[in-house]
Amino acid sequence: MKITGWQLFWIVTTAEVVMAVWLRISPAVEIAKQDAWLSMLIACLLGGAITYLVVKVGMQHPGQSLAQFSQELLGSWLGKIVPIPYFTAWFILSGDVLRSFADFIHLVLLDKTPVWVLMAMILGAAIYLSGTCGITGIGRFCEIVGPLTIITLLVSFLLNATNARWIDLVPVFGDASVTEIVKASFAPTSFLAESFMVLVLLSFVSNPKNIMKKSLASVWLTGILLAVSTVMVLLVFGPTLAQELRFPYFMLVRSINILNFIQNLDILVIFIWIFGVFAKISLYLFITSYELSQVLRTKRWKPLIWFSAPVIYIIGMIIPNESAIMTLQRLWEFIVIPVCALAIPAALWIITSAKRRLIKAE
Amino acid sequence: MNKSLITVCLLLLSAVTSGCWNLKETNQLAIVIGGGLDINQDGRLEVSSQIAIPAGLGGPDTGPNKKRSFVVVSATGKDFMDAGQNIQTQLSRTLFYAHRQTILIGQRMAEQGMNKYLDMVVRNPKSEMRSVIFVVKDGTAKDILETEPVFDPLISTALGSVQMALGMKPFYYREFLCESRPKGGSVLLPAISIQASAKRFNYAGAAVLNKENALKLVGFLKPEESYYANWIKGRQRALIVSTSGKQNNGSISLRAQGLKSHIKVVKDSNGMRLHIQLSGTGDIVENNSSLDPSLAKDLRTIEKNMSKEAEQAVVKLIQKAQKQYKAEFFGIARHVHNKYPREWKSLQKDWNETFSKLPITVEVHLRYQDPGQTNSSI
Repeated sequence: MKITGWQLFWIVTTAEVVMAVWLRISPAVEIAKQDAWLSMLIACLLGGAITYLVVKVGMQHPGQSLAQFSQELLGSWLGKIVPIPYFTAWFILSGDVLRSFADFIHLVLLDKTPVWVLMAMILGAAIYLSGTCGITGIGRFCEIVGPLTIITLLVSFLLNATNARWIDLVPVFGDASVTEIVKASFAPTSFLAESFMVLVLLSFVSNPKNIMKKSLASVWLTGILLAVSTVMVLLVFGPTLAQELRFPYFMLVRSINILNFIQNLDILVIFIWIFGVFAKISLYLFITSYELSQVLRTKRWKPLIWFSAPVIYIIGMIIPNESAIMTLQRLWEFIVIPVCALAIPAALWIITSAKRRLIKAE
Repeated sequence: MNKSLITVCLLLLSAVTSGCWNLKETNQLAIVIGGGLDINQDGRLEVSSQIAIPAGLGGPDTGPNKKRSFVVVSATGKDFMDAGQNIQTQLSRTLFYAHRQTILIGQRMAEQGMNKYLDMVVRNPKSEMRSVIFVVKDGTAKDILETEPVFDPLISTALGSVQMALGMKPFYYREFLCESRPKGGSVLLPAISIQASAKRFNYAGAAVLNKENALKLVGFLKPEESYYANWIKGRQRALIVSTSGKQNNGSISLRAQGLKSHIKVVKDSNGMRLHIQLSGTGDIVENNSSLDPSLAKDLRTIEKNMSKEAEQAVVKLIQKAQKQYKAEFFGIARHVHNKYPREWKSLQKDWNETFSKLPITVEVHLRYQDPGQTNSSI
C-alpha cells in the first residue's frame, strides 16, 4: 500500500477541515469576539509547529509506522506501550466524530431515523472503503473530496457576500485582550494538531520528497480556511450571535439568499460534508486496525477492522449527550494533544537522535 | 473475504436507505408561508399561520372556480411551538415551517416585549431564518395575514417585495437577531398596517423596539421618517426627495440613488458628539418650479434647496429620536463601539439615554446627475 505526497496532503486537509470548520468557530468567538480570526491564524502557527515536530519524527524512520519504530527503538515491551495513548485518542476521536455528525444529521435532516442507524450507515461505508482498498483508496477518495469540500467552502463564502457587514469585524483588539485571543487559539490548534496521524501515514508515502512542505501546507490550508470561515461567520452574524450558534457554518449556508432564487443550499453542503466525515472515519478505522496489527506483529490487518469498527461504534453509542462531547473535546485539547502530539513525539525524537549519535560515536 | 464484505455492506445500506425512514410526501404537509405573533385580549400568546393551499396556487387565475390560495389558522399557547401544536389540531396535514417567508408581530405583542420569543426561530432546525419580519401597527398579525394580496397569490411573499419597491433592503429575521443581540440602543423594524376599508396592507414606516428594555415597542416612525432612518443605517438604496416648493412656487423631485451615509464619532474635552453625513446623486424627475436645471446658477439653487430640505427632515427625525423616543435606532452604537471600545463597555448599559443628550450635526449632500428630458419646467 502506497500513497503519494499529494494524497497525504489531501488526507490531512480533508480530515481536519470538516470538523474544525464545523465545531471550532463559535468556541473561539466566545472568547476572542470579533478577533477570533486572529486566533485562527495563531492556531495556524501553533498547529504548524506541532506538525513540524511529528513529521520530523516520522521522517527519522522512513517506511516505518509508529508502532513499528517505537518497538524497534524502545524494545518490544515499552514499544508496545507507546501506541496505547494513540489508540485511545484515535478511537475516542472517531467515535466522537461519528456520533456528533450522526446527531447533527438527525437534528437537521432525518429526525425520525434513529441515530444508531445513521451511525451504522456511515461506519458500514467506512468499513467497505478501508476494508477493500486500505489507505490507497482513502487517499484517492480524499483527492476528490478534499478539493470538492474547499470549493464548496469558497462558493458558500462568495454567495454570502451580500449578507456581509464589515462593521462586525471592528474594532480589532478592541474587546478581547491579546491573552484572550491567544487563549481562544488553543481549541482550534488542538484540531489542527490532529496532524499527528502522519506518524502512521508517512510510512506509506512512496516518495518522501517535499513531504514536510506538503504536511505543513495541508495544516496551514486548513487553518486559513478556518480563519476565512470565521471571518465570514462574523461578517454575517456578528460576534454576539455567532458565539451562540452551535453550527455557525451551517447557519451561514442557510443564510444564503440571492434574489430569492439561490437558497436552501444547506442540503448540498451537508452532502459534501458527509463525504469528508466519511473519509475521516475510514481513515481512523484504517489507522487503528493497521497499527493494531503492527503491535500484534501480524501482517493481516484487515480482520482487525472487525475489532476497530465495533469499538468506534460502541464509543459513539455510549456518549450520553452533548455535554459529554464537550468534555471529550476538552480532553482532546488538554490531554491528548500534549501527550500524543507533543510529549511522545518529542521523546521519540530525542531518543532516536541520541541513539544515532551513540552509534556514530562507537 | 472482499466479496462477502461488499455484499454485507450493500445489503445493509440498501435495507436502510431505500426504507425512507423519514419519508414525507408533499401532500402530507401544510406549508406555512407566513407566521404571526399576537397577544390576544386575555393576554395570551396567539400564533397565526398562513398556510398555502397548493390547489389554489396553480390553475386559472380568474373565473368562478378559483379556489382560495391560502388559509389562516391560529391558536393560543404557552409559546411558539406549543401554539403550533394547537394549530395542528385544526389541520389534517403536518405543519411545515421551512418555507415561511414572513414573520409578523402584532402591536400588542411588540408592546409587551419581543425578547422572550426570539429563540425558537434559530433553535428549531425546521424553522427558517430567511423570513422578513414586520411589526403590525394598530392591528394584529392575524389581520394582515388574512388580507387578500393584489398581485401575488400569497400576502407573505408580497411583504418582502414592498420594501424592495420602496428602495430599501428587505429586513430579514437574521438581521433582526444580529442587531438585537448586542447590548445598547434600539432596533428599527419595518412596520405594516391594515387599511380597514379595502382589506389591504400599507407600508406604515418603522417600529422602534428598545433593546435595553426587553425589546419593548417605543413608538413608530412615519414612512417618510423611516426612509431617512434607513438612509442613515445604510439600508436605503434609492429615494425620491421632493422640495416643498414654497420658495420657487413649485416643487422639484429628485430620484436619488447611490445613497451613502457616513457617521463620525468625535470625542474631545467637550464630550462626545456625532456628525452624520448623508449623500446621494440622482436625476430630476419632476420640476414644477420656475428654476431651469440647465442653468448652472439655478442648478446650484436646486441642489442647495434639496439638500437643505432633506437635512431638515433628518434633523427633525433625530430630534424625535432624542426628545420623544429617547432611543437610538440608527445603528450609531456600532460606530461608537468601533471607535471607543473601552468607553463602550460602560456606555452600552444605557446608550439610549446617553444618545438622547448627545449633540448631533447633520449634513446632506444631494447632487444632481441628469436633468431628465426637459430643460426648464413645461
